[in-house]
Formats: sequence, structure tokens, C-alpha cells
Amino acid sequence: MSGTHTGNPLAARVRRLEERLIGAGLVDEAELDAVLTRFLQGASPLNGARVTARAWSDPDFRERLLADAGAALPELGLGTAGGLQAQRLGVVANTPTRHNVLVCTLCSCYPIGLLGPSPSWYKSEAYRSRVVREPRAVLAEFGLHLPEEVEITVWDSSAESRYMVLPERPPGTEGMTESELAGLVTREGLIGTASV
Amino acid sequence: MSRVNDVGGQTGFGRLEIERDEPPFSADWEARVYALNAALVRRGVYTLHEFRDAIERMPPQEYLAASYYERWLRAIETLTEGRTGGGTGGGADVRTGGGAGRG
Amino acid sequence: MGESGAVPPRFAPGDRVRARAGDPDGHTRLPRYARGQTGRIVALTGNWPLADDVAAHRPAPRNEPVYTVAFDARALWGEGGHEVTLDLWQSYLEPAAESAAGPAAGEEPV
Repeated sequence: MSGTHTGNPLAARVRRLEERLIGAGLVDEAELDAVLTRFLQGASPLNGARVTARAWSDPDFRERLLADAGAALPELGLGTAGGLQAQRLGVVANTPTRHNVLVCTLCSCYPIGLLGPSPSWYKSEAYRSRVVREPRAVLAEFGLHLPEEVEITVWDSSAESRYMVLPERPPGTEGMTESELAGLVTREGLIGTASV
Repeated sequence: MSRVNDVGGQTGFGRLEIERDEPPFSADWEARVYALNAALVRRGVYTLHEFRDAIERMPPQEYLAASYYERWLRAIETLTEGRTGGGTGGGADVRTGGGAGRG
Repeated sequence: MGESGAVPPRFAPGDRVRARAGDPDGHTRLPRYARGQTGRIVALTGNWPLADDVAAHRPAPRNEPVYTVAFDARALWGEGGHEVTLDLWQSYLEPAAESAAGPAAGEEPV
């Protein structure tokens, strides 16, 4: 991906910055391309979906995942390493009486490796300001209408932990294989703005 | 003083706009900004904490008017100012001070 | 840093804590909405360099315990039945006064 939007003043500003940093030896072109390739190919909600499907299929794995996600992920060939700096991953499970939803009110912290690039709404002031205060109303705008008796926990990422929601396994999926189960899981389900 | 980024519980930011199936980046320059930041943090030119601090120090009206990756661009410019200027080579010891580099 | 420089934990899961009320000048990871509020320690997530110190280029950032702390929406906003959790460094927290309100009371001594 090389810059082509020559008419855009922001694109021109980015190119000037890039040239300045390359000229100073702080970055190089191949490194930038490698970073982007890793990001676009490696970071995907398919990873979080695989983790979820395994947890639905294997109660022992589920237990290990909820106790220490960083130790359990390597069982699926995944890890929390490779991020920009050290992080802890916490997986929080929905139950019939408890629903979890993620936010970062101070910036945009998000488990990119497991969920893929974050959606614009997650980074918006509207979502960040509102979901800690009125989660039920915000979830309803996503089409998720929770019964009154379901309690909500909003996880505001403010330090070095990143969270993933483990959705509940939908009814009627008993005969499905693990990969079929993974196909049911959406990015929004892993953030908590959808049920699965 | 609380900073402009600290929006939890505030009102007045309007409705949620949920775009289905949006691409990771809406323009090529955004991808370049993403890559620059990742490379600079990996090399230890600055930390993510310094990066967040630089975003938060944007004047509030500028922060609120800027798109997500425009804020990143501004922060990278702020944090690398003075490191690439007079041909001082590596410049790994040059620190931009707490209040420096604004605007 | 290393383990030798790690600040030992002061709180345990279940403890009631109050988030610092002050408004620091620099970078911090204690959001305004939680300041001065009382919550409950849910978990200790390990020791991490204090974000405030790292952002301010302090030569030896404090390596403090970070806790997941749960706050009732009613305490934060005066309404709502949900809870909000934050991950907070130890120096953001102080023990909550244990005397006045019992566990079921909605009001806290200020």
C-alpha cells in the first residue's frame, strides 16, 4: 500500500512525515509494509470466534480460558504476544443472568488480535460516553434487547488488560462441529453489542 | 484539569452511527499512519502512554474536530518533532518534554 | 524495574476502596466519572508500570499492582442497575471508610 491520494492534504502531510522519519532512520519502508500486512492478515474476529467455539465445545478449556486467557490461548496457536506492548487478556463470560459489554472511555483500547480492526463506532465519543451510563439503551440501538432480569457489566479498559466477551452458546446448536460453531460468532458478539 | 478525551458519562455527543461491514481503513493515508505508529512504538521511539498523552494534549476544539487517525497523525508529529530536524542522527535520547510540542 | 522494584499489593478481592478524588495535571488512567467513588476490588491483575509516570518520562516509573474495581451505576450516575469495572493502579485507590454505610446502603460518606 503506497500513498496515492495526492490530492488529499492529509495524505500529503502523512507522506511528508513518513519521508522525514525514514530520512532520520527512525522507520523504514519495508518495516511499514510488514506492520500493515501483519495487521490486515493476522488480526481478525475469526480468532475470537475460534476461541469461543472451543470454549463451547470443551468445558475444561472454557475453565482454563476464564481463569487465565493468556495461558489458554496458545492451545489454539494464538497468543497475546505480538502486541505493541505487554498486555493481559481477560475473557468474561455471559450467562443467563449476566451480560458483559466492552468499552474504552479514555481512548480506544481493544483486543485487536482476537477481534480484528476496531469498528468506528467503538472509537466514537457517542459510544464511549454513553455505554458506561446507559448500556441498556445503547445495546437496544444495536438491536440487542436484554430481558430486565439480565444484569449488565460494562468493562472500561483503563490499564493493561484487554477483554473479550465469551457469548452464550445459542440453543439448538448441539450437533454442530467446532468450525460450524465458530461461524455463528460475530465481532459484535465478542464486544458484547450482540448476543453471539 | 480533566482532558478532552475523558468522555465517559458525558452527554451531548449525539447518536451512535453504526456502519456495517466497514473496511479497516477508510483511506490509504490512515493505514500509513497506523503503520508509522506501530513501527515507532516497536522501535522504542516512544511508548503508547506517551502517544496517548500526546493525543490528549491536543487543544479540545482540535481534538473534537479531528478524525480518529488525524489525532494519531498529530500525536506522531508532536512526539517526533525535534528528533528528525537538524540531522542529529539517532536522536534516541531526545525527549520532548511534558508540555512541549503542542500545535 | 523487575520484581524487586514491584510495589506490594495493599488490597485484596472483596475490599471496598475509594478512587482518588483529585484532578491530576498530566496523563492519568483514572476517568473523571470514577473519582471520589467507592467500589469493590474484583481481582488483582498483576503489577504494571504506572501510566502517569511513563507518560511523564519519570526515570523509574512506579511498578504498582493494578486491580479490577467494580462500581455500581447508582453510585456513579444516581441511577441504573448495572455495574462498571475499571482497571486501576494502586495509587489511584485508598481504603473506603468502613464505618457508616452497610453493604446494602446506597449512600456513602463523603
